[in-house]
Amino acid sequence: MRDLLAELMDAAAGRADYADVRHVSSLAETMSTRNGHIDLVRRDGEEGFGVRVRIGGAWGFAAARGSERSVAEEALERAIAVAEAQPRVQGAGPLVPEQPAQGSWATAVEIDPFEVPLEDKLELMLAADEGMRGDPRVTLTMAQFSAYRQDKVFASSEGASCEQRVVECGGGIAATATSEDDAQVRSYPGSHREHVAQAGWEHFAGLGLVENAPRVGEEAVALLSAPQCPAGRMTVVLDGEQTALQVHESVGHALELDRVLGREASYAGTSFVQVPDLGSLHYGSEHMNVMADATSAGGLGSFGWDDEGVAGHAFPLVSGGVLRGFLSSRESAAEIGLERSGGCMRAEGFSRQPIIRMTNVNLLPGDAGTLDDLIADTDSGVYMETNRSWSIDNRRLHFQFATEVAWEIRSGERGRLLRNPSYAGITPEFWNRLDAVCSESEWRLWGLLNCGKGEPGQAMHVSHGAAPARFRDVQVGVA
Amino acid sequence: MTALELAERALAAARAGDGGALATVTTERSLMLRYARSRPTQSTAVDDLTVEIAVVRAGRVGKASTNASDDDSLARCAREAEAAAVAMARSAGEDGYPGFPEPRPVPACDTFDAGTAELDAAKGGAALAQAFEVAERHGVEAHGTWTVGDVETAIASSSGMAVSERATDAFMKVVCIATDGRSGYATAAGKALGAIDPAALAERSAAKATFSGEPVDLPPGEYPVVLEPAAVGELLAMLAWQTFNGLAYVEDRSAFSGRLGQRLASPAINLSDSPRFPRTFQHGFDAEGVPKLPLPLIQDGVAMNVVHDTVTGALAGAASTGHATAPGGSTYGPIATNLVLVGGGASDAAELCRHIERGVYVTRLWYVNPVRPKETLLTGVTRDGTFLIEDGEVTRPLVDMRFTDSALGLLERTQALGSAPVLTSDGEFYGRRFATGAVCPPLRAASMRFTG
Repeated sequence: MRDLLAELMDAAAGRADYADVRHVSSLAETMSTRNGHIDLVRRDGEEGFGVRVRIGGAWGFAAARGSERSVAEEALERAIAVAEAQPRVQGAGPLVPEQPAQGSWATAVEIDPFEVPLEDKLELMLAADEGMRGDPRVTLTMAQFSAYRQDKVFASSEGASCEQRVVECGGGIAATATSEDDAQVRSYPGSHREHVAQAGWEHFAGLGLVENAPRVGEEAVALLSAPQCPAGRMTVVLDGEQTALQVHESVGHALELDRVLGREASYAGTSFVQVPDLGSLHYGSEHMNVMADATSAGGLGSFGWDDEGVAGHAFPLVSGGVLRGFLSSRESAAEIGLERSGGCMRAEGFSRQPIIRMTNVNLLPGDAGTLDDLIADTDSGVYMETNRSWSIDNRRLHFQFATEVAWEIRSGERGRLLRNPSYAGITPEFWNRLDAVCSESEWRLWGLLNCGKGEPGQAMHVSHGAAPARFRDVQVGVA
Repeated sequence: MTALELAERALAAARAGDGGALATVTTERSLMLRYARSRPTQSTAVDDLTVEIAVVRAGRVGKASTNASDDDSLARCAREAEAAAVAMARSAGEDGYPGFPEPRPVPACDTFDAGTAELDAAKGGAALAQAFEVAERHGVEAHGTWTVGDVETAIASSSGMAVSERATDAFMKVVCIATDGRSGYATAAGKALGAIDPAALAERSAAKATFSGEPVDLPPGEYPVVLEPAAVGELLAMLAWQTFNGLAYVEDRSAFSGRLGQRLASPAINLSDSPRFPRTFQHGFDAEGVPKLPLPLIQDGVAMNVVHDTVTGALAGAASTGHATAPGGSTYGPIATNLVLVGGGASDAAELCRHIERGVYVTRLWYVNPVRPKETLLTGVTRDGTFLIEDGEVTRPLVDMRFTDSALGLLERTQALGSAPVLTSDGEFYGRRFATGAVCPPLRAASMRFTG
């Protein structure tokens, strides 16, 4: 396949200012249970070519299924025709230079999840599902498993030639308890259906779903009669998962350079951050240190090379609260005068073109100790856990989030369970109220499978490293 | 080879066994051009297909899919689907899937336009050039998409189903942004490119972006609102997922659970799923091949029905209404894809404003997500054209606002609707292309809760 792609790029080199091609073969296995029944077991496979050309500053991208030479050649012709049909782009400059990618890369996997018998997976899932039930007010229990494998071969008109295998695996459980006018959900290890990592079966088997199932069911029921979370301005401690989502929505997306430059204004939106803010914007307090790291072991945003052949690397986005970087591509990096792309171009599969995406955008651990230490250090406030809903405006400035559950904090101790917690804020004001991040022992990567962006839409898999964190003077109880 | 012929080959590759099999083929040819700051930015041409095989063993439905069409790949796909069903039966015993539906006549639909199916990039390039020209004349920049698709769906099953449908769609979005950052929005959608007038869209969008006056910050609170069709369509889409969904209904998660027959909206609200309404993206059958028939969801404000597939229908003691999103049931449940909200007596949105002393005019809503689904409580923000209404007229731009309110509550507080519903669509196209949208008019509600 590498030879075929190299020859295709030789043919493209004289006809386009730049060209690249990916052949991607994908396999997914998804399973779920529902109230003790097996709801879903399925396998999905696909393969094809995605060819991208740049002519006169306009991009053409064509995708076609299969692995034959003729299919790749037809896709190249279509990509060129589409690029040539568009209005010319005045003043389009070259891409920022990059050493052509060479070699291979693969996820470290102990046990191939596709080799584990379906029955073994279902046994674990059914046991976890069963463990959540018992109280009749639990009306819906679900357990999820998923595994993904993607084999990618990449070549470019600049001589790049590399291949990668990415394997992801994970799952989760959720219980819904209902009353006449209410429905409360508890999830584990996180919400958004499941917790996935770049890893093998060992990750899923180690999640402790069966062990945590009874607590999940009990907390869902307890929420039905729990007091409403109070409203007002107060101290908030967020668990690692909600902190990760806060990073995702109000830091990661805000620092995508295509948004900053107005390229996504009609769909995903723009950003409150501007290019001249680099090096001067006080994004947050001194406790805020955020890295974009495409090398984090187990992260869904880890790779050898991004989908335009830039080697995965780590670089700071925010250091000591000050803006230090953007998530970028070769084109956008050139546009603002950076020496190198951030290596953030990723595509969902062969049929979608690479766009600027998050890799692993991680909030680095602090020195506040464990979660118990942080709560003990908090006189009063609320501790919120597990994301339930999320919304942020198209400039990534004004957000409102809700979590599944909260506990009051009184005199350094975790108190009553509270239902329907929510909070809202303005991104830089909120991050400047960060006054503590738990230590490395509490830090972990949280995976998200549903990061939507692009037209046609692409759902990207990303991870965020985070630990529980404390924010002062937050507006709580808006919903 | 047609999609139906391929579906029949895939079905032949599957052993029907004790419970039957069903094969679905979806072919997609599509083209999307994106632009920003009055320059082309990205383009995507797709030529792909999906073959999905569902096999029933002991009342369990196993599934697999591939995008290859050779015999070996179809046989492998069928084996994987069967292996999935067998594993389900081994792990949890027999289950009660009633089997794939018997074939029924599918009413004819008006779904295809040959000119649109050409996927002519030159027409797209010309559309972009028109939008850029209008934007330049107004001193704004144009951002958006132009896209066309040609999708064929075919289903063959061991129960004798053999149906197919070829549908085209076209969509254009123009977001104009002025130098001060204010923006406007206009879209058009339909089965044919003839539904799209790029220059007219750009004019409408530019007019909003350049509306005179400095944007005003309105404090949080409850205000009377006029919602344009795009905003109404966004709310209805959320109700389709959470409330009209037969799975959420039987699992007691829907606001309609236990409340069918009760008045839950204003008597002015008449909402149906109407798969052959002329202005919708028409669909003749669902993912199980069941004919899609018109279904009233809210009639004169009274909750009437939820939608079902064969699985949720069996759980509710009802028949499938033709709303399956996957054969043999879906984790997400059945979804209404052709919502039509009947219009009222107001000639247009401007007339709806005339009865408001001080309120908010909303062009569209963004990043709308459920907060508490059973209450239909949603949150999201306004964007691309939010204005202040004073003494019956739109007077000044407003800074975008966050709302946190119940979707059903808004329909309960609806006072009047426009007389000319239009097809609203977001043109997102995640996964395999499936054009959908809601036909709705603008509406005026007595209040909407803005929280920031």
